[in-house]
Amino acid sequence: MPAGPICNGAAPVRSRRVILGTLVWLLAAAYLVPMVVVLLNSLRTAQEIAQGSMIGWPKFWEFGNYAVAWSGFCIAQTCQGIAPYIANSAAITLPATLISTLLGAVAGYAVSLWRFRGDRWIFGLVTLGVFLPEQMRLIPWTIVLRDLGLSNTLAGLVMIHSVQGLSFTALFCRNYYLSIPQELMKAARIDGAGFFRIFWRIVLPLSPPILVVTVIWQFTGIWNEFLYGVTFTTGTQQPITAALIALATSVADVPQYGVQNAAVVLAALPTMLVYLFGGRYFVRGLTAGAVK
Amino acid sequence: MSGSLRRFARKLPELLVIWVPMLLSAGHVVVFTLWTTWVSFTPSTLMPTDGWVGLRNYSAVLATRNWKVAFDNLLLFGFSFMLLTTLVGLALAILLDQRLRGENVLRAIFLYPLAVSFVVTGTVWSWLLNPGMGVQKLVNSLGWTAFRFDWLVNRDMAIWTVVIAAIWQASGFAMALFLAGLRSVDADLLKAAQIDGAGPVRTYARVILPSLWPITVSVLVILLQFAIKTFDLVRALTEGGPGIATQLPALVVYDFMFQRGNLGRGSAAAVLMLLTLLAVLLPYAGWTYLQRRRARA
Amino acid sequence: MPKLSRRALLAASAGLLAAPASAQTVKPRLTAISQWSAGSDGAAITALGKKFEERGGVWQHSPVPGFTTEMMNKLRAQILGGDPPACSQLKGPEIAAWSKIAPTVNLDAVVAAAGYEKVVAPDLARIHKPGGKWAAMPLQIYRTNTLFVSKRAMDRVKADKLPTNWAEFNALAEKMKAAGIAYPLANGGSRPDDGQKFEAALAGISPTVYRAAIMNLDEKALKGPEMHAAFVQLRKLADWMDPNTASQAYAVHLPQFVAGDMGMMIQGGWAQGVLLNAGFKLDDFIIGPGPSDNGKPVFLLNADAFIFWQRKEADLQAGQKLMAEMVMDPAIQTMYSQITGSIPVRTDVDLSGPGWSDGQREAAATLKAAVAANQSVLSLAHNMAQENGMTAAMIDVITEYVKNRAITPDQAVTRLAEAVEGAR
Repeated sequence: MPAGPICNGAAPVRSRRVILGTLVWLLAAAYLVPMVVVLLNSLRTAQEIAQGSMIGWPKFWEFGNYAVAWSGFCIAQTCQGIAPYIANSAAITLPATLISTLLGAVAGYAVSLWRFRGDRWIFGLVTLGVFLPEQMRLIPWTIVLRDLGLSNTLAGLVMIHSVQGLSFTALFCRNYYLSIPQELMKAARIDGAGFFRIFWRIVLPLSPPILVVTVIWQFTGIWNEFLYGVTFTTGTQQPITAALIALATSVADVPQYGVQNAAVVLAALPTMLVYLFGGRYFVRGLTAGAVK
Repeated sequence: MSGSLRRFARKLPELLVIWVPMLLSAGHVVVFTLWTTWVSFTPSTLMPTDGWVGLRNYSAVLATRNWKVAFDNLLLFGFSFMLLTTLVGLALAILLDQRLRGENVLRAIFLYPLAVSFVVTGTVWSWLLNPGMGVQKLVNSLGWTAFRFDWLVNRDMAIWTVVIAAIWQASGFAMALFLAGLRSVDADLLKAAQIDGAGPVRTYARVILPSLWPITVSVLVILLQFAIKTFDLVRALTEGGPGIATQLPALVVYDFMFQRGNLGRGSAAAVLMLLTLLAVLLPYAGWTYLQRRRARA
Repeated sequence: MPKLSRRALLAASAGLLAAPASAQTVKPRLTAISQWSAGSDGAAITALGKKFEERGGVWQHSPVPGFTTEMMNKLRAQILGGDPPACSQLKGPEIAAWSKIAPTVNLDAVVAAAGYEKVVAPDLARIHKPGGKWAAMPLQIYRTNTLFVSKRAMDRVKADKLPTNWAEFNALAEKMKAAGIAYPLANGGSRPDDGQKFEAALAGISPTVYRAAIMNLDEKALKGPEMHAAFVQLRKLADWMDPNTASQAYAVHLPQFVAGDMGMMIQGGWAQGVLLNAGFKLDDFIIGPGPSDNGKPVFLLNADAFIFWQRKEADLQAGQKLMAEMVMDPAIQTMYSQITGSIPVRTDVDLSGPGWSDGQREAAATLKAAVAANQSVLSLAHNMAQENGMTAAMIDVITEYVKNRAITPDQAVTRLAEAVEGAR
């Protein structure tokens, strides 16, 4: 039995891996339950759900829910489904994400690699913004929008999300840039490179991992925002969350579960895709030092 | 003179790029907070108005059962949510770090809840946890009729449904951070531990986990931010009920300011909430300050 | 630039006043916000918009999805921004409160021209005339203590008579329970749902005490024996509800209610609109007045309304006038109420036509009788009796009581009085 000891040593390792693998997939299955329930419900009829339970296999595949959700159901006089609201959300989310990410990168770069008088104080205040509840900021923002003449405009919402988002993006980027060796900076400065040149030539090429993190964070946060979206826009400008709420909270209706679930799936697609494609970089970006 | 002016002109673009966004951001934090504090001392109702009522708004808020319940809930919810999410996230990260097959898929599965809005999370969990239409009904209809899972409608347990939904949503983020930390543990340290003959448990306990401390702080800060701002989730999941059993400060702030049309009291509640936050953040800031001084010394 | 255009508009509107003939050249336009976005509410406001367009107007309605609070946030933001909608949904004492923060349109002339004041219940007119001037227009009336009984549940217990007082109601509920109907009372788990059960209990026990305690916040009445009795009745009602409802709206139970698996509802007339909109039939359920212990009908009144905000634009002013005229129009009120299940604000509308249900006819007749007997009171749960701050403080106590069996009626009475004191 020459192979005995090796076998004895390997068997527990292998079985441990099997146990761990089973455990982790069971957990994954549990995490998937809400999504599976929504997907199944999006293919069931409202009557079937009302008579049975929220959890169940469709007796009949009602693909029509998606058609109604996308372009059919009415919010008051507008019967265009969620399609126009998706477009509105995109018009708010894309520019606000780009602006806040870019500004956050520059701010993080300045604070972490240049250091200047008072930087710690001002940076501390910027990051405190992370903790301010949205409810508290609602009326001040209303006044700011009025004074800037941006009431009821998408530009106003973009501005709000850019300023508020800077708190997060600057924090993430600063922590990441702290891991860039100071020698690199010194060498570049000796070569006569200035603020923008170093950013452009050295820092930005090193940044994709952390930029993925901030883009994901900002994109999902703004896409899913409701309070500002519904207060600072009117009628046909409203974002997707407003349409979802209109479907979900109408007390004057027997719940339209099927359509509601289909709308949830459609509305979550963009952020899901962002995570699906960006998820790998998300962890990589964090690995690269966003957590210092 | 003209030289320094020219130097200033040359530096102007970078100064603008650095300072304008930072000042806007820091400015909105400071101004909005001061403004709210000012309103909390005024008799404002539907609209902000001038006037001075001293601490009347504060005593009115503190006297309501809503605030008491909300504050207790914040402590219970905040503490258990932060602790459990950290533990779950760490466990998931350690599991994923075993280089299991399908790691990409697994990571996507644990991360996807982050992509979903709180409103949707709250609504879906309110279905699943509703004893009349969710898990309990399913299990009952499968034959186990005595099965009960009715935390959502149980005053004493309802806050835990909020904890469950919040963990489900946020643990992926903790996992990602911890996974990142695990992947950047110094390989030499691991090798040294192996040479010493340390088993996996000892290696984790002695080498890996201690090195995760800075990450844990980042995780806790992000989770603290989640916890204190939890609003949409509760509104969609329980509407603060049954009764007022799952009220949280953010809901009370919103409720006073906008539902009850009393900006003064709502602002007082917001200031109380921020003071609570400061009570947590200030010791942390002091601690890091001491650490830094010690490192320099 | 904005100043200039505003001045130009002022001149234009002045010109309009001077020469009515030129009014023909301005196309009436109305900007409106409401929370009515779906179901029968959405259908009704959309139908109103179609009529507005038929009469040559431009209809710009922006629904604000979510709770009433979001709608009011939107309104506040618009007012702060100096750009209020020409008209917005608002109701009850909030009309007076909000009319203090921004100038409203004086509708007295339009109302007088239509001879409208004569046909509106005085209690209702008062709410819409802050400072004695019409600034808002009631659109429809609901009775919040309407009793809905499932036809099939009645068949199951072989009953054919609706209960008229609380003793009969309790007996019927017990009978249903004995016949295997687990939850004789279908109810949602939301705050207004709970509040509505309380107000129905108290008003049914004594509308006089309801008026004193809830509407006038009389301290003695708030601690009186009728309040205690109302909480005792509320406990009974709570025990007949499905405890698994969580915070869902009552509408989730409508299929079970129609099927006879739940027996009764104490709801607003809107439940009829929701039932019909969901495809159920009028003979699936029976409608009657809520229980009243003194033998005379009690009407808990809830009214939706539009408030009109001052605008300088000539087309908006023309739109406001047109809208006010339309809302007073018996034909429009008929159309609206037939969609939503409410009853018209005008007391002179003939409800004998085929578009009305027996329940609506009964509700309209009851309103007249209740007004005559001074037994018409304003709904607390639906923000008609008090401003929102006071209402919410009171509902806090009520909803906690419904959800927590450990609270005794005595404690509830004390807590309610304390909550009122704290919210003053």
